Amino acid sequence: MREELLAALSQYGSPALFVITAAASVGVPLPVALLLVVTGSFVAQGFMDVWWAIALASAGSITGDLTGYMIGRWGGSRLLRRLSRLLGDPARLKNEQKRAQRWGWAGVFFTRWLLTPLGPWINLASGASNYPWGKFLLWDVLGECLSVVLYVTLGFVFSDRVISLDSVLGELTWAMVALVVALFLGWKLVVLLRRKR
Amino acid sequence: MGWEDQPIHAWMSVPFIAHTHHVPKEVLYSALGVAPREHDHRPLRAIARQQNRPVNDVIRDLEKAIAKEHGSPKAPGGAKEQGKAP
Repeated sequence: MREELLAALSQYGSPALFVITAAASVGVPLPVALLLVVTGSFVAQGFMDVWWAIALASAGSITGDLTGYMIGRWGGSRLLRRLSRLLGDPARLKNEQKRAQRWGWAGVFFTRWLLTPLGPWINLASGASNYPWGKFLLWDVLGECLSVVLYVTLGFVFSDRVISLDSVLGELTWAMVALVVALFLGWKLVVLLRRKR
Repeated sequence: MGWEDQPIHAWMSVPFIAHTHHVPKEVLYSALGVAPREHDHRPLRAIARQQNRPVNDVIRDLEKAIAKEHGSPKAPGGAKEQGKAP
């Protein structure tokens, strides 16, 4: 799959990037970071136009994110309502939705470029919790543009060693996700212990 | 993370490999017996298909040409991807 995607990027350029980033943002597991750093290398070699590459990669990612948000909003909110009725605690769901709306911007922004594996889940959760679509779009556009510029620049700078760069980035991303999960669980544990005292 | 260790894969084009391995693309085209082209985005697997041989052979020829160009006496490490015979 990885080989086919890279061959498609090499042969068809930015339009291929649009399709791949859109599919990845909906949740299809595709190596977007690798494709973006390779794009940076293609730009450095004069194979691709930098503005088209950045515009189409960002547009693809945003389209995919909005699709995930809509799925969450129209499918997820109904499911959440049904679940809350079944569980008999609609007040708690409202509290969680309020919390998601207060901190939603950070979740959207940081999962676009730093904690990328969580991105598709945040799209669904944002839609399902009725996070305002205008705010979602704002933080999504900022985060996705930053992500694309960041990875393409890295590929541009290290244009002759993009394959090694990809493995370093992949390990770094999962290390960041593991760190955030560990911090979250640690915080939950502290809260639990304080309550018990 | 040196450029010397960059692997060659079947999806790569000749100009891309020339850039990542710091060799003139003409050297690589000559090693494959292919006429140089402007804006050549063909992956190696397409060249292998045209030449009716496994892509691993094409990769091995490129590795030899790169090692020779860099003046390395050791033989290249071998192809990184299993090629499919056309």
